Amino acid sequence: MGNRVVDSMVGRVRGIPSWQVTLGLALLGLGFLIAAQLASERPRIRYTTQERAPLIEIAVDLQEQQATLSARVLELREAIQGLEQAGQGTSVEIGQLNRQLEEARLAAGLIPLRGTGLVFQLEDSVQEPGDDEALSDYLVSARDLRTMVEELWLAGAEAIAINGERVTPTTAIIDIGGVILANSAYLAPPYQVTAIGPDDLYDRLTASAGFADFVRARQDDYGIRIGYAEPEEVDVPAFAGTVTLRYARPLPADTARAGPSPEP
Amino acid sequence: MRRTRNQLTIAAVAFILGLMVVVQLRVQASGSGLGSMSSQDLTVFVANLNTGLAQRRQEIASLERDLRDLQSDRDRGVVSLDQARAELARIRAYAGLDPVTGPGVTVSIDGAIDGPGVENVINELRNAGAEAIAVEGVRVVVGTIVTGGPGGLSVDGAALAVPFEVSAIGASETLTGSLTRIGGIVAQIGATYPGVTLTVTPVERLELPATSRALVPSHGRPRL
Repeated sequence: MGNRVVDSMVGRVRGIPSWQVTLGLALLGLGFLIAAQLASERPRIRYTTQERAPLIEIAVDLQEQQATLSARVLELREAIQGLEQAGQGTSVEIGQLNRQLEEARLAAGLIPLRGTGLVFQLEDSVQEPGDDEALSDYLVSARDLRTMVEELWLAGAEAIAINGERVTPTTAIIDIGGVILANSAYLAPPYQVTAIGPDDLYDRLTASAGFADFVRARQDDYGIRIGYAEPEEVDVPAFAGTVTLRYARPLPADTARAGPSPEP
Repeated sequence: MRRTRNQLTIAAVAFILGLMVVVQLRVQASGSGLGSMSSQDLTVFVANLNTGLAQRRQEIASLERDLRDLQSDRDRGVVSLDQARAELARIRAYAGLDPVTGPGVTVSIDGAIDGPGVENVINELRNAGAEAIAVEGVRVVVGTIVTGGPGGLSVDGAALAVPFEVSAIGASETLTGSLTRIGGIVAQIGATYPGVTLTVTPVERLELPATSRALVPSHGRPRL
């Protein structure tokens, strides 16, 4: 009885024309691709792709240009520093000026640093939001990265970078429709916050009530994955953006105070 | 006849399959985030990238000029102190090591706001292009954080009582427009912190002090 069923099935398979097998396989592949497409977009809202395709293309292209220009900025700064140092030794004044330049560049984040520190990694939650919950609460937000950075500064960090973007006095960390930008550069998940600081940076950080609140609110309540590593040394890259101010002018020291100045 | 129809079906499926493969690869290549953004968000994103690019191009032009000057000095066997001094002033102003002056806005904040709320305002000012920021006379540099709960705010260790002012140097119109737009930070803070008011005033000329923080790292060292 069982054998007869198998025999008849084998017979049927042999009877199927080859084009049907091809079509079947193609449809199977199509199904996989549709599933992959949907899965790759699962966490965020889906939109029709038509008008977005050229915009995505532009964005990808601009990102590449930005990386090229950033590399060029760093290369030029290095060449300038090299030439300045080559001129050293010709006079005491130049030596002094070069030391001041080095200090200012260190303070402005223009020099890559290596030292003791921590690396934190933040990843979207894998939990499913409840019916009346917002999906966005389960994703890492710019707010989360800012909290992480603020807590690290308060714990005594002296240099911080997020996914290779150095945090400087002009660094804004913002959300645009579910993606995060820092220094107007796109940050691809997972988000890594690297900080250089004292040996006890981790102890100081975890002793902070603000950091404990953050972990409770984001990891415990929403499943945002927060991990950390404490390698022997961490690297923080240099800032590749502009340090040229267009509206602010340096003032001679001692004369400045905050607030509007009296009319002349 | 039947055979032709079969071939057409296969051709159609193969075509769709090919299309899907390409779309899928593109989405994967563009990073997980972009594929899911709306057109409107993508437009804002592209505008942001363009701003960043324009700034980098400007910086490159200025650095190339400096490099050329330095090279020609070296070739002539002279060292120009003026250029190094100008460079020093530029970097010190950026880092917050020197006081600065310029047009901008003051944001007067009153009510039961907490540290993260104020940091939110500062982040928005930076996003709108602020070049230098101070909170009630304390220059905001790397590591300067407004912290604490309502009534117990502090900045760089100094107590901060409401009402207080956040001053920012930059294009006053852009800063004002960006903060006060519909759904902007003024509206957001108003919605999140009941009773808190933010008053944005364009100012022709502000003076912001230098930081008193030591900004040269002691745990990190330059990496070559």
